[in-house]
Amino acid sequence: MKPNSIKVLFYLLLLTVIGGLLISCGNQAPSVEEQSPQTTEATDEVVELRLWTHSNSSFVAANEELIQRFEAEHPNVKIKLETFDYDIFIQTLQTSMPAGTEADIIEMFGSWVCTYADGGRLAPMPEQVATLAEAQNAFFAAPLEGYHCGDQLYGLPHEFNIEYGGVLVNPALFEAAGVAYPPTWGEDKDQFVADAAKLSQFESDTMTATGFHFINGDGLPFLLLAGILQEGGEYWKPDGSGLQLNTPEAQKTLTWMKSLVSEHKVIDPFLFNQENNSVVEAFFSNRAAVALVGPWAAATGKTDFPEIEFDYVAMPHMGSTPAFVADSGWGKVVSVNSKHQELAWEFVKFVTMNQEHARTWNIKTATVPALQSIAEDPTLPEELPWIQAVLPILPHGRYVGPLPDRNLFWGEIAYPHILAVLQDQETVEDALIAMEEEVNETFEAR
Amino acid sequence: MSSLERTITPPRRWWKVFGKRGGRSYFVLTALLPLLSYMLLWEVLPIIWTLCLSFFDYSPSRSGGVILGFGGTNPYIGLEHFRRMMGNSLQAQLFRTSLINTLMFAFIAVPLNLLITIPLAVAIESVHERFKGFFRFIYFLPTVTTSVAVAAMWKYLYHPQQGLFNIILKGVGLQPVIWLGDPRATLGGVPVALWAVILASVWHDMGYNLIILIAALQAIPETFKEAARIDGASEWRVFWHITLPLLRPAIVSASTLTMMYFFHAFDIIQIMTDGGPSNQTQVLVLDIYQNAFRSGRMGWAGAEAFILFLIVLLVTLLQLRLARKEWHYDT
Repeated sequence: MKPNSIKVLFYLLLLTVIGGLLISCGNQAPSVEEQSPQTTEATDEVVELRLWTHSNSSFVAANEELIQRFEAEHPNVKIKLETFDYDIFIQTLQTSMPAGTEADIIEMFGSWVCTYADGGRLAPMPEQVATLAEAQNAFFAAPLEGYHCGDQLYGLPHEFNIEYGGVLVNPALFEAAGVAYPPTWGEDKDQFVADAAKLSQFESDTMTATGFHFINGDGLPFLLLAGILQEGGEYWKPDGSGLQLNTPEAQKTLTWMKSLVSEHKVIDPFLFNQENNSVVEAFFSNRAAVALVGPWAAATGKTDFPEIEFDYVAMPHMGSTPAFVADSGWGKVVSVNSKHQELAWEFVKFVTMNQEHARTWNIKTATVPALQSIAEDPTLPEELPWIQAVLPILPHGRYVGPLPDRNLFWGEIAYPHILAVLQDQETVEDALIAMEEEVNETFEAR
Repeated sequence: MSSLERTITPPRRWWKVFGKRGGRSYFVLTALLPLLSYMLLWEVLPIIWTLCLSFFDYSPSRSGGVILGFGGTNPYIGLEHFRRMMGNSLQAQLFRTSLINTLMFAFIAVPLNLLITIPLAVAIESVHERFKGFFRFIYFLPTVTTSVAVAAMWKYLYHPQQGLFNIILKGVGLQPVIWLGDPRATLGGVPVALWAVILASVWHDMGYNLIILIAALQAIPETFKEAARIDGASEWRVFWHITLPLLRPAIVSASTLTMMYFFHAFDIIQIMTDGGPSNQTQVLVLDIYQNAFRSGRMGWAGAEAFILFLIVLLVTLLQLRLARKEWHYDT
């Protein structure tokens, strides 16, 4: 073969492949204007909807049951459940949406919703499903606000995600340390700290068990933001253009967190953190007597560590009020590319607003309800006993707010700086200034 | 040629367009086509795609323009990402930290790998024929183990309380080390956590180099070594003056491949440290992954990936240039 022939063939092949891909990719994602949601309810034709969720077994079981109930009431609808591991789920969303191959209904975390909604990836929720006022009346504000972008709702929550307010406690470690059990701290913060200090265990100078494990990727930022609110401060700038973190309230909170390490020695931040001996790992291997984590961990613990005895109890608040910050929660949204949006929204309403179905979802997933009427039901703790610890504070929860990049703030800004303060690598003031600057850069970039 | 012959000339086979050696060319083309298509589709095109992404402020969460989502809410920003990499933003700082860590990782891991594998290959080659297969199998085993399992195992070995290394340290009366979680701990100016993930990665990867080097050792004519021994050379001098120089092409191949592999280090680090402590093990591919798939900054991640591509290309070309040999031996 002559070299020129090979060159020509190479370029032809390259052009064919690129051309083919451009055409196929271009065709897969029709614009919003091109689509007209079809109404098929009136026909006998069976409509298939696809639902995506992450593959947590309890979430899958809950969705399967609700799908069965919906299909029983809608014989012309088949809902196909497709599940993904958590990390793969995010990647799949990121890659399928540009290609227009995502499912009709997606189980999405509330704090992601506005990013996708603002980008034109999600269908706005029709008022026939619920008006904003109806939704605000039915759901707790903290979870609902994640789905509220501008003046429009883009989905409805199942869950009130809460990582603050309750702690796992290990009775065996309390007994070993001679600390009263059940905990007697009530609303006394100083008693809580004193107990935690007594619960810490050492072997020579090395900590072998922490009295109070609060150092994890979620816990530290939530503790800081809750502390700011409880001290009467505010972490949002008055005009909402960014965050203000170098405030007296933030300094007081972070200083208190540091005192837990340096003064009270309830935890060694080098040995116990997100990377080493994470909260759940340390608690369920008897290396943490008290652990700050959401009630979901109690449900996980009952299943995965049945041999460990533990309870989930309320933790005293740091300031004068029990105000705290929450990160919305899991709920359901509808893709803008769905050809059956009306049916998809009907399903969303069926599973989130109907008290019986919504309650089933919460009980099967062991999550805190987003629907106020379920949380107010006095029989709920019979089925979800660990929820009792956080139920009283739910009305005090507030959505974290429209951060441009929630994951960046939590994972790359707040957690590393707070950890650096606890590890004595950074001063309280330097850390707060750095956090404020770094998070506000993300607002400017937006 | 008669007029009759002219009218009934059989039609030309289509592959004759390739010339006199058309049949052979047809075979070559048929054999190459699947591979070529594969490379175009999965290697060349992603590189072009990544380069395109790097010129846009592209996020998959935004629908953008009509052509593949480029434009509109995913605007063209030219070289802005590359310019921002020099700035003081958190993203830029993380990029530069990741770049430095990646270079440290690769330039420590590759020599370490060769320092372990060359003597090991010589040692395996020197044992009795009956045991060679066994040793090759043992040392290649980590390579065929999934990186997730390798990372989980090493993470457990490094566990501050229950890990084997700290149990040994405590057993001999030394202070335990927080291998993966203490940003203050360094060894030779390099964070201990980075050493820890390097060691795990080298352990996982060394089987490949071992096979390459053993094959190269087997190809060295025994007569060279025998001649040196007859002249009175010790085994060390035979290794140093005969074996090692003749291994050079294999060492270059192994180091080039290993360098490329370590520039793309990701899975073991993600599982063992996820970039911590204090970003001390944050490498470029991890940063690219986090930007692209956790934060949806595909444009920025594309720019980072393109920089990585250029670095790998440059280092590889440099290695190949330095290792160019102008001799060969006949067996």
